[in-house]
Amino acid sequence: MDVPKVSERRRWLLGLGVTLVAVALLAVAAAFGGTNRTTSAAATQAKAKGGYGEVYKADPKVLAHTLFNAKLLPPAGMSRNIALAAFGRASKKVNYNLALKCWKNDGCTTGTKGKLTVAYVEPFGENVYRHISKMEFILQALTYPSIGKIIYRTAHSNLNQALADFRAMIAQHVSAIVTYPDFADAELPVFKEAKKAGIPVATYAWGYVSGPGQNYTTVVGENVCKLGRAYAKIMNTYVKSGDIAFMGGFPGNPLSAGWQKCEQPALNKSIHVVANEPTNWDASKVQQVVSGILAAHPNIKGWSYEYGLGMAQGAFAAYKAAGKPFNAVLTLRTDDVGMGCAAKKLHNPKLKVYYYTAGNSQIRVALTALMMRLKGAKIPPKIVFPIQLQNEAKRTECVKGYPTEASATSLVPLSLLHRMYP
Amino acid sequence: MSAHGRTEGVVLHEGRGLRSLLADALVGARFVPVWLATGALLLIAAIIAPAALQSTSWAFVLPYMTVLAIAALGQMLVIMHAGIDLSTPGVMFLGGYLIVGVGHHSNGRLGIAILACLGVGVLVGLVNGILVGILQLNPLIVTLSVGYIVAAEGLRYANGLAEAEVPSRLSDFAQNRPLGISAVFWTGAAITLAVAFLLRYTAPGRRFQAVGANPRAAWMAGIHVRAHVVFAYTAAGTLYALAAVLLAGVRVSVDPAFGASYLLAPIAAVVIAGASLAGGLASATSTWVAALALTLLNQMLLILGIATGWQFIVFGAAIIVGMLISGDRIASLLGRLLRPRAAPTRIAPALDHESG
Repeated sequence: MDVPKVSERRRWLLGLGVTLVAVALLAVAAAFGGTNRTTSAAATQAKAKGGYGEVYKADPKVLAHTLFNAKLLPPAGMSRNIALAAFGRASKKVNYNLALKCWKNDGCTTGTKGKLTVAYVEPFGENVYRHISKMEFILQALTYPSIGKIIYRTAHSNLNQALADFRAMIAQHVSAIVTYPDFADAELPVFKEAKKAGIPVATYAWGYVSGPGQNYTTVVGENVCKLGRAYAKIMNTYVKSGDIAFMGGFPGNPLSAGWQKCEQPALNKSIHVVANEPTNWDASKVQQVVSGILAAHPNIKGWSYEYGLGMAQGAFAAYKAAGKPFNAVLTLRTDDVGMGCAAKKLHNPKLKVYYYTAGNSQIRVALTALMMRLKGAKIPPKIVFPIQLQNEAKRTECVKGYPTEASATSLVPLSLLHRMYP
Repeated sequence: MSAHGRTEGVVLHEGRGLRSLLADALVGARFVPVWLATGALLLIAAIIAPAALQSTSWAFVLPYMTVLAIAALGQMLVIMHAGIDLSTPGVMFLGGYLIVGVGHHSNGRLGIAILACLGVGVLVGLVNGILVGILQLNPLIVTLSVGYIVAAEGLRYANGLAEAEVPSRLSDFAQNRPLGISAVFWTGAAITLAVAFLLRYTAPGRRFQAVGANPRAAWMAGIHVRAHVVFAYTAAGTLYALAAVLLAGVRVSVDPAFGASYLLAPIAAVVIAGASLAGGLASATSTWVAALALTLLNQMLLILGIATGWQFIVFGAAIIVGMLISGDRIASLLGRLLRPRAAPTRIAPALDHESG
């Protein structure tokens, strides 16, 4: 019969049409609507492996060394990927002789003939912490064959010089700039100029300038408000009630203000903050402040501050000069080796020291974020690491072989540190 | 140099009668206010901030005021010759790092470290002295420039140092408290008395003062004025280095801010103590008292717990008041009040000539 023959052909054609429509729909869905949710398992797997010239994987030992715990990574997503990529590069072999030369000469050509030039602009630059950050930056830069030149500038705490250095980098059309903005929003104009010139800029260790993502590419570090709450938790647990004091850096700096405004309301009502003094992160000033507060409030039970080594150098001397035992709870941001060793030397179980990390290695994350940005990646405005304060009694900062002013969570190899500081 | 400064210098040496009494009054009045102001400050502290006068507070105030006093004594020697020295922070910074670097954690090397530090002070002071005293360059610019160069060298040197702690013998010395008071304080007091004695009771000291009071008259009297200016800067550099040694001991360690706060504070101490920036007479003991007053005031404001901004305002205002009532102004006022009664001095034509 002819009719059944016609129906069969129609069915065949209908089936073909349905298949084609389905394929077309799938193609449209893949192209538009479902890039995030409907990507296949295979695509997800590919993304987890890496992208933008990076591999999102790091040695757990490296992570544990620099973050205290391999799990203390930024939240899942691009932030974590960038951190994994950055710390993954820390395991790559680089030419230490070249790194040392570059560190000593404040910059170098890498010999790769790469077309990119990266700059680390330091408004302060004159302590071991920043010198080690410089080496971390150089080591990270040397893992990129596309980087042909590394530049380092330091302004010795001179704002005008810092702005001039930054502008010089813009004028030289460098590919990317990493900085620790000591002068905070006073540096905003040059950040905006860099953005206008198409140069990505990142800050590290929560060197905060307003408008990350808008005025510059990204800020890497911890949430300072959460740091303040973590401080409060320690104080609530170990001080319970009584007087404590806050100390900060330069008057009005955003880092100190950030944790202080969040620690205060999170404290037990029976804990009183009897003083809040700036120290300019200067050990002499710390000694003066501690001695003054001790004179006015002899029963002070706790101190919250950022600069661990400053605390070791200033407060220990103040207590000693005052002839008082250093029985107090300290919550500090940096994990300077000198602080741990001073506490160890004191052998006082009534001195309880809790610390976070100086975050030298965060500069690696900042540079990697910028390198990914240059390859077209969308970088989150804040790459935020979670906070877990460490107990000096359980995990000492005093690591043998490290310089007093260094942080043992740095990823600069000890052998290289010894060559930096023979 | 101001006219009244030179007048006082000459009047001081004129010798007898009314003018001698006038000179004594002027010299005495010049240095009394800082002692009275410090007494008043102690009284106020006892009333509104008694904690500032407790042993815990003195444990900070005395060593730090000593460091300021030693640096101020150096500045005083320069100011007596109408100069100014802004190389203080640079010398102290490099000197502090030399104590750490040369000392290298070894008590056996402490002596050579201190010598290196003092050597830098002498060298920098000598360079300043030659540039200002011999080549007649502006001291403000010259010493600032030399200070920058020295600080840059200090940074270069510090970059190669991983450790920041001074040899323990130095910090132990600074922590030592003979008779319950810091050894640094006793050291500073001894140095101050020695400087005061040398200036007042020795022939070279008198010559040094004479050059400061009236360089032309001193030159005419056969004194090597330029050599004295060079010596003033050299001695000042040595005292800055000494201040660095003491500060390093007190602080136990050095850092990039080491010595930074000693740029203007020593000058303030010298002026409050009654010296004129135009040169002339100065008192070592009054400078020491001014250093005590400034350090105590700073500590008192901290203990009072007033907001940081207000601390700066009150401290700045106190320095201005200190200058208003400074001995230099009192002496000048007394001079104006008493001078009409005195016979015209022989140096008037010379002054006219100089001012023209």
